[in-house]
Amino acid sequence: MLFNLEISTYLDALWETAYMTIASTLFVFAIGLGLGSLLYATDKDGLWENKTLYKILSTVTSALRSIPFLILIVLLIPFTRILIGTILGPTAALPALIIGASPFYARIVEIALHETGSDLKETGLSFGATKLQVLFRILIPESLPALVRGITVTAIAITGYTSIAGAIGAGGLGNLAYLYGYARNRILITIAATVMIAILILLIQVVGDLFVKKLSKKY
Amino acid sequence: MITLENITKQYIGSKDEIALNQVSARFDSGLIHGIIGISGAGKSTLIRLLNQLESYDKGNIQIFDYTDLRHLNKESTRMLRKQIGMIFQTDHLLSRKTVLDNILLPISFHRKITSEDKKFAQDLLQEVGLSEYSTRYPEQLSGGQRQRVGIARALINKPSLLLCDEPTSALDVITTGQILQLIKATAKNHSVDVIIVTHDMYVIREICDTVTVMDKGRIVEHGDLDDILFKAKHPQTQAFVKEIGLDLSSVVQQFDPKELLLLKFDESIVKDSIISEMIQTLSVTASIVYANVTPHRIGIMVIHAPKRIDEIKLFLEKHKVVVEDVI
Ligand SMILES: Nc1ncnc2c1ncn2[C@@H]1O[C@H](COP(=O)(O)OP(=O)(O)OP(=O)(O)O)[C@@H](O)[C@H]1O
Ligand SMILES: [Mg+2]
Repeated sequence: MLFNLEISTYLDALWETAYMTIASTLFVFAIGLGLGSLLYATDKDGLWENKTLYKILSTVTSALRSIPFLILIVLLIPFTRILIGTILGPTAALPALIIGASPFYARIVEIALHETGSDLKETGLSFGATKLQVLFRILIPESLPALVRGITVTAIAITGYTSIAGAIGAGGLGNLAYLYGYARNRILITIAATVMIAILILLIQVVGDLFVKKLSKKY
Repeated sequence: MITLENITKQYIGSKDEIALNQVSARFDSGLIHGIIGISGAGKSTLIRLLNQLESYDKGNIQIFDYTDLRHLNKESTRMLRKQIGMIFQTDHLLSRKTVLDNILLPISFHRKITSEDKKFAQDLLQEVGLSEYSTRYPEQLSGGQRQRVGIARALINKPSLLLCDEPTSALDVITTGQILQLIKATAKNHSVDVIIVTHDMYVIREICDTVTVMDKGRIVEHGDLDDILFKAKHPQTQAFVKEIGLDLSSVVQQFDPKELLLLKFDESIVKDSIISEMIQTLSVTASIVYANVTPHRIGIMVIHAPKRIDEIKLFLEKHKVVVEDVI
């Protein structure tokens, strides 16, 4: 028992938050990488420069990013119900988390690919690489440290989103802090939940840094 | 042989500015060709047309067996590019690959890398003087060493043409000399033609056989090194030549051109004392008004001989000196 609540309640909440964060981060990584690559590729100096397509993609990305997360969850309720079968529980939070965070990561990917630069694109093409080869064999591998740093930041942002989702029925530490802590006026539980979220975020940062270090350490 | 006929190129978005304006040129095989011009003259644009990193609007380019570069399909463009190695101003190496993997990269775009490829890459590394460095990463190398890796990488697909866009502009004078000599030596070993872009006349004098001078999107002079060095006509060319202390025109102006002879010596006869021998044998008077007998490839001298100029000419020619009028 901690502050009059079963330890297992805390652990369940922690697990739910971790699950939401990890599962959505995996999806966000894949979707953001795809969307970010497309943004880079269709932009000026990209591999498949296409003004119209870039405009469309860019507008959609920005629009999605501008929707407050709470509103996004509400907007997605019908979609979530069809896809997951329920709107409660951690899994039901995934669509909103993924759609909310993917545009954010996509922008990070776009910037990283631009930074890696036109020089290497030219180099690849000048040796007869196809555009796909330039993207997958040169630009993405060269940007890897930046991409990992970006997904770390994104995962941390997602952890924040999970607590918002938690407060309206997704479970997890956010739910614990809100339902047991705030609603029943037990501030210590709120603090305990907050500390656990902070530890989780710290852990994500440490793991992310470790990956980056591993990727950058070459000799 | 590469020929360009009336090539015109304007970048999309640039209003009146024409990057290349009616450019025609010929680059013969077996030689090192230099393209010189000030910033914005169109040098990079010109060589980037050859491997179709840029397309052109009008005209025609012939290179290898390709006659109409503009209408090549994707696959042919890739094959064309495979036959053309490219070296850039900065190394453009992949920071997360080793030196050896960087060199092998161009092969990997076309097929699987074999153990022979690896051996060839290792040989190339040796050739550029970096055999010990195969497992290092680019950031562990100096600028000059990275440029050497770039040269090895450009040769890995066994190209027939090497395009170098200001390969030494980021290097110090001594390293520049070494890299230029390396380009020259490897080009010869691998029978590769070279086109080298620069804004530095020193680079041209050091290794080029022919020179193309560009200004504002046009070719203003195009010829053999000697002619450009000593008989430059265009003010832009004269300015470049002056930079390396070979400004003949100001000397020549002080004399009657009919009394002047331009002598060219190659390395084999530079040491002989031909002029004093001539003065003794023919008992003529001749004064040296200009001499530059220590440059890298050829020595030249201008003599002023008010009398018996034809006899002098004959004598010198018999002694393997190339004699020309000063124009
Ligand atoms: N991608 C581009 N888009 C638009 N204009 C361009 C582009 N690249 C070059 N230009 C223009 O074309 C002209 C020729 O450029 P180019 O790069 O061929 O010059 P350069 O002789 O190589 O100059 P430098 O010595 O500075 O490299 C310049 O006026 C330049 O502004
Ligand atoms: Mg240039």
